[in-house]
Amino acid sequence: MIPDDAVERLMESALLIGAECEKANIQQWEIYANQGYGHSMEIEAGRISMASGGGEGGFGIRVVENGRYGYAHLVDTSSSKRAIEQALSIANRSPSIEGFELPGNQSASNVGGMKDKAILDMTPEDLLEQGDQVLTRVSELDSRAVAVGGGIGVGAGAGAIVTSNGIEYGGVYTSHGIGIHVSIDEDEQLTSSYEGESSRKLLSDVTSSVDKAVHWSQITREKIPGGETEDCPVLMTSDGFSPLFSVVVPSAVKGERLARGESFWSGKMNQMVIADHLSLTDDGLMEGGMSSGSRDDEGVPCRTQKIVESGRLTGELWSTRDAAKSVAEGKVDSAESTGSASRGGHTSPPLCGCNDLILSSSAKSHDRDRLIEEMDNGYIVHSVMGAHTANPTSGDFSVTTSTILRVEGGTVIGAISQAGLSGNMAKALNGRVVLGDSSKRKGSYSTGSMHVPDVLLMDGLRINPA
Amino acid sequence: MVVTSRQAESHFSNGRILDEDKITKALDMATSLGADYAEIRLVSETTNTASLKDGKLERAIPGQEVGVTMRILADGAWGVHSTSDVESIVQQVDSTFRLAKAVAARRSPSQTIVELAEVPIIEDEIHWKSQKDIRETDLDKRIEMMLAIDNEAKDDDKIVSTATGWSDEHIHTELMTSEGMNRIWSFQRSLINGMVTARDGDDVVSYRMRHGGEGGLELIEACDLGEMGRNAKISALRLLTAERAPSGRMPLVADRDLTGVYIHEALGHPCEADLVAAGDSCLEGRLGETIGSEICTVIDDPTIRGGYGCYPIDDEGVDPRPKNLIVNGVLTEYLNHRETAHRFDLQPNGGARAQDGLHHPLVRMSNTIIQGGNHRDLDELIEDIDFGIYACGSRGGQVDTGRGSFQFAAQEAWIIENGSLSRPVKDVSVSGMTLQILKDVDGLTKDSRLAAPGFCGKGQTVPVGDGGPIMRIREALVG
Repeated sequence: MIPDDAVERLMESALLIGAECEKANIQQWEIYANQGYGHSMEIEAGRISMASGGGEGGFGIRVVENGRYGYAHLVDTSSSKRAIEQALSIANRSPSIEGFELPGNQSASNVGGMKDKAILDMTPEDLLEQGDQVLTRVSELDSRAVAVGGGIGVGAGAGAIVTSNGIEYGGVYTSHGIGIHVSIDEDEQLTSSYEGESSRKLLSDVTSSVDKAVHWSQITREKIPGGETEDCPVLMTSDGFSPLFSVVVPSAVKGERLARGESFWSGKMNQMVIADHLSLTDDGLMEGGMSSGSRDDEGVPCRTQKIVESGRLTGELWSTRDAAKSVAEGKVDSAESTGSASRGGHTSPPLCGCNDLILSSSAKSHDRDRLIEEMDNGYIVHSVMGAHTANPTSGDFSVTTSTILRVEGGTVIGAISQAGLSGNMAKALNGRVVLGDSSKRKGSYSTGSMHVPDVLLMDGLRINPA
Repeated sequence: MVVTSRQAESHFSNGRILDEDKITKALDMATSLGADYAEIRLVSETTNTASLKDGKLERAIPGQEVGVTMRILADGAWGVHSTSDVESIVQQVDSTFRLAKAVAARRSPSQTIVELAEVPIIEDEIHWKSQKDIRETDLDKRIEMMLAIDNEAKDDDKIVSTATGWSDEHIHTELMTSEGMNRIWSFQRSLINGMVTARDGDDVVSYRMRHGGEGGLELIEACDLGEMGRNAKISALRLLTAERAPSGRMPLVADRDLTGVYIHEALGHPCEADLVAAGDSCLEGRLGETIGSEICTVIDDPTIRGGYGCYPIDDEGVDPRPKNLIVNGVLTEYLNHRETAHRFDLQPNGGARAQDGLHHPLVRMSNTIIQGGNHRDLDELIEDIDFGIYACGSRGGQVDTGRGSFQFAAQEAWIIENGSLSRPVKDVSVSGMTLQILKDVDGLTKDSRLAAPGFCGKGQTVPVGDGGPIMRIREALVG
């Protein structure tokens, strides 16, 4: 899937661009290069509808002159001279940030599990066979169920960073992912569920997502009338909670946003911000972590950064430039990179973001059945619609769910067709919270990878049945 | 099939990137292998993004990206290859053909094979020239425009931060197919946006604004950016004092931003024929049925110049045209591409769009708009509402097309009491079922036009326009 010498080729090209920067007498420069390859197949209306493959990549050039920075990107080295000129021209127009320099070379730990040879060896035919397994599994589980959409993909990427400050780093990573949307449409009632998972290793069983999708499509068919609007406990499964959490929390823990007053936790450093048994850790060194690695996307060694410890806000995330800028502007007394720079690819300069963000509890965790008993009366929400409309500044959200079960006396009594779910993430996490016992990663988002278990939120949420 | 040829409307092109001879040979090779159809589409994008934070340049990024995608249809199934290495695409014919054959081999006899509706085979160039070519705009000008927003947005002690952004792109596309289609087109899009954050003690809120569309610098210059900044500041300060919105069923009046998002989510997506074909649309089998109030007429029109979702040619080389999705409440048309036009025996209507040169075309909306009604203005729409919500500005939305349920969120809102706007509220979201709520639209003002530009995600992200008049819904689920 990927040439054996992919990293070497990228490194060679990056060094060529770096040499052009040297010729232009640029004080500090950074060349980021990436190249991705992959195969995928799509499922539509209960069949495999398409198979595809390909690759893409390019280069990003960051230059720094007297604390001023400029960036440009390109797809091949032939236009590097022009791109360097563009980046330099922008740097000259940018404000100077006192103390801002590109990171120096520091030793970094090796993080395992980033690459799986089994994925590199996958052929398009192998992928299509996995598609067959998925479709077969759907019909085996429920003859009424149809895989209306979804797909499976494998990818391999090579990345490299070369800088004037001595960083020369490259690596290969792999991924394998499945998403499956199952629906059951019978007796004029349609229920459905979308499930997915991804991993740096070959997924051992692509059909486990199918099992969940069919299960939720089945258990939401037993409809009961929606009740009155009420403020009540809500058990959010990790699948339902993760999208909301990913919109609100990663944004709130960025150092720059905290310093600019743009976070609901601004001004609360060293104060209690969530329930005293909860902690929040951003792990950049997680073995096999989808957003982990030896170094971040500007070459700084990744680390495990504690953000909230036993309910108290103790840390924040910084990229090199954000840290220097906030200090220079007097918004904070001191700050330095936490190895939290990330990019969406070569077209983006490094920006501050989460790696593998983990919500954990020191209190006893429970399995889902025990959480339902604990809740006594309330709702279970497995997916939400409109998570992206949550407000990351205030933490407020008002979303809709069609995968919702009513619980009375600690027992699930049926599903309601649709309901609004609203509240404030910061306030809900600061109330009575019980975590489930599975902290399996749920979702990779543009904001990082979220590791959240089932979460029982006893306070601050409102359910508004349709 | 009809073959036509016409001259370029104007010369705005950078010249051809694909090597015609090589591509023709590659397409011929695909058909000689047994392909029913093959196409190669290249997109070259010249982009500029920039942003300010608190009035200072945060970043400016010029870019030049190119991507090329080959689709091969063989035995009624698709194989696709995408790459940023343009030269390599012609070497991928055999492997892509084999991918298509491998997909076809898995199809059971009962499953539909992919066939394409016939369309005019055209060789031409269309270049939509902007009045002020955005590529000739320098960084100082971009900064000046963003500062025009910023300067007016931050003038209050409770405004803790401002952020403004800029994005422009010149898009050049080349399409060649085994049927002989050979088209080149180009156009530009420009966008400016901002966000204001206000704080009072522990209460913190933000308000976003956006302006732009198809065209060059003239689009941004035509906007009163200072007013945009002032209004955002006023809205953010107002949100600081707003109380949490009530929950429940009540009359809802939506401004044209929210009306646009509503019609995009609730109706537009279920009208996409690829979702209908997948069994994932609540509008399957309902063409010709009355699904909405008779005052509802909705079009999706990629030919509205200046709209953020318009394009000169769709990504299968089909000339776009307005689609009448609903006429007086009756579902009259799906959005389609060539595959779904054939599947449902419809006329192709030019609804195929791809995110860029590295993605294959899907059925997508363009500029989706509800036509105006008979009400004079907002006052007339709310005068007989005892208690309801007037919601403004979009924070986005989402739809479950199969179930027909949707959700969208407002930036700000007011309580309507006894026929007048009373106090501001925040965190308003609205949800409902497509097939019910379209029937509950009971009032539209006369003036209908596109609102702020937006982006639509469906695995791929494309720019869209949407809008309409101010709209009243008899009863909606709020909160």
